[in-house]
Amino acid sequence: MPYQLDNRPPDLRESMYFPEIIRGIGAVTRHFLKNFFFSRDTHPDILSRKRGQFASDNVTLAYPEERAPYPPGYRGLHRLVPREDGKPRCVACYMCATACPAQCIYIEAGEYPEDPIEKYPVKFVIDELRCIVCGFCVEACPKDAIRMDTGEHAPPSYERSAQIWDEQRLLRGAPISYQADPWLRRGSPSIPADKLEEMRARARPFPAGATDEYSQTPGFSVRALAAEARERTERAGQR
Amino acid sequence: MKRLVGMIVLLAALCAGFVGFSWVMYLSAAWAGYELAVKVGAPALYGATLSNVFWLMLVVLMVSGSLLTVAERKWSAMLQNRIGANRIKVFGYALGGIPFLLADALKMLTKERVEPQGRTRFLYGLAPVLAFVPVFALFAIVPVGGPVLMRDLLPATWFVGLPPSAAGLGATPISLQVSANDTGLLYVFAIASLQVYGTSLAGWASNNKLALLGGVRASSQMISYEVSLGLSLVGCMMAFRTLRLDEMVVRQGQAVLGFLPALGILLQPVGFLIFFASAFAETKRAPFDLPEGESEIVGYFVEYSGMKFGLMFLSEFMEIVVLSGVVAAVFLGGWQPIVVPFAWLQQAVGPVLAACIGAATFLVKMVLLMWLQLTIRWLLPRFRYDQIQKLCWKILLPAALINVFVTGAAILLDGSASRLDYVAALGLLTILVVALVTTAAGRAPRAEAAHGGAHAAGH
Repeated sequence: MPYQLDNRPPDLRESMYFPEIIRGIGAVTRHFLKNFFFSRDTHPDILSRKRGQFASDNVTLAYPEERAPYPPGYRGLHRLVPREDGKPRCVACYMCATACPAQCIYIEAGEYPEDPIEKYPVKFVIDELRCIVCGFCVEACPKDAIRMDTGEHAPPSYERSAQIWDEQRLLRGAPISYQADPWLRRGSPSIPADKLEEMRARARPFPAGATDEYSQTPGFSVRALAAEARERTERAGQR
Repeated sequence: MKRLVGMIVLLAALCAGFVGFSWVMYLSAAWAGYELAVKVGAPALYGATLSNVFWLMLVVLMVSGSLLTVAERKWSAMLQNRIGANRIKVFGYALGGIPFLLADALKMLTKERVEPQGRTRFLYGLAPVLAFVPVFALFAIVPVGGPVLMRDLLPATWFVGLPPSAAGLGATPISLQVSANDTGLLYVFAIASLQVYGTSLAGWASNNKLALLGGVRASSQMISYEVSLGLSLVGCMMAFRTLRLDEMVVRQGQAVLGFLPALGILLQPVGFLIFFASAFAETKRAPFDLPEGESEIVGYFVEYSGMKFGLMFLSEFMEIVVLSGVVAAVFLGGWQPIVVPFAWLQQAVGPVLAACIGAATFLVKMVLLMWLQLTIRWLLPRFRYDQIQKLCWKILLPAALINVFVTGAAILLDGSASRLDYVAALGLLTILVVALVTTAAGRAPRAEAAHGGAHAAGH
């Protein structure tokens, strides 16, 4: 919001110059003393830091050691979501690779030898240098098998080849099972029977709003926010 | 809270360290004087002077000058709510950025030396030296500590059975001042005006038009400000009736108007302001940094690199130390601990400890003044060139002249024994007026309504 600059001619004291300098010294001295005698609050959320007469005014984050939390829904480095038995949830349907506008996902599908139906990715490679971090792959996935909820950047590297992430590096994080998972409903030769029982016991219903499940922060919901916004508009329209 | 306690402990330790350090300096001076007098037969002052040259010029001046390079970063950071230099860590501790000192020194010494081909070789090499040496020489005049008799400092057994040539050795006063000469302040003006050679030669010898212009700017600015620099101290010379800085410090211990210490800043507040501003311009730092202005203007040492640049850079910081020393001695009572009379302190804790405490107060005053200079450097934007000359010739110089006449008249008309009561009253009045004007409510911040109204309209 721009505001009018106060361009009045200097008043008597301001035109005397020295008193204004002394006042200026007083102003910066206050900051100096506060920062000298009181330690910096390192709370990553700058707005919730302690303020006042007896606290440092310093708002710097010493970056590599202290980091500000990313906002909810932040799209970080990809991960392949594992099942409880350690294999990827991915069924190599190519939806993400097809949706990807940067064409940075490469998938080679394979079949479990005793299973005529279920597929899995023999190779699942993401080129993080090509990735434009749009999140379309996450939206496209029907099995909640790829997510961008790690909250990390692609770590820097000296070689380009180190930015090519294969399935071994991508497969990490907490495992998830849904009741609707086909390998749980009909059983799968790739999963031992006792493990299957355990996974079935743990399975959750597939989330109605898939997007909500992907957001990092519990309680944050794009749909809920959208609904609120819609309500607001409707209320405004009635008025 | 931990930091608050730590900082208070640190400051207390610093003050105690200053006292201990002054004690070491006194002992060293007395010991060197004694040894030289007994072994060689030289006057005791010679050895003491040698020791003072080492401790005051090489240790106090050099160490505080180079620490200021770090302090400038850290203190400016604290003024601006930043953290400041802290990336070099020793065993995980940033140590207040002090390790940067070593890094900077290493960088300066190992940097490639790039020198212009058409330079005037001799003068080009001479200029950094000429910028550096006068600053060094200036510190010789600064009285860090008052006189203590040698027999108070050294064990009494040392003075038993001395040869007759060294009989009066015990009564020799030892003080922490390299040279207590009668020229005093005149020496300050003389040596300070030598600095202009360093800067103008640096600009001229590097065969670069822009550097030459920088040198011309520097020399014109420094020569202009020397006039008001000299005149601003005339009032002090008249009030204290001496040119010697050590005498001035002693005179500042007397009482005026019955109860106030006769501090230079009390007798000569206008002289203090003028001297501080002029000396600030002599140091060529912001807001008077037209000669170099490292961020925008091409300055006189643009063609210097490596340690030659380092010398120019360091001499600027040592000028700050010297200026602090001179101001502390002339205007802030030097080694007089203002809160208690020095004579009382001598009675209470003995002559040696009293002198050490006095020297420590001097060092504390110097640190505060250095801090003030760095603060002003980070507070004010740079002057325009015509503003600099206008400030000097149209404001500071007439003010200094008026100050001289008013002080002279006040001393002449005064009938009291010290002849300082009128001057002190005038000074007190000036300080009161400045304080009133400074603290008086200024104009109201303009029209919050209009600002808020614009906000409301936006929503």
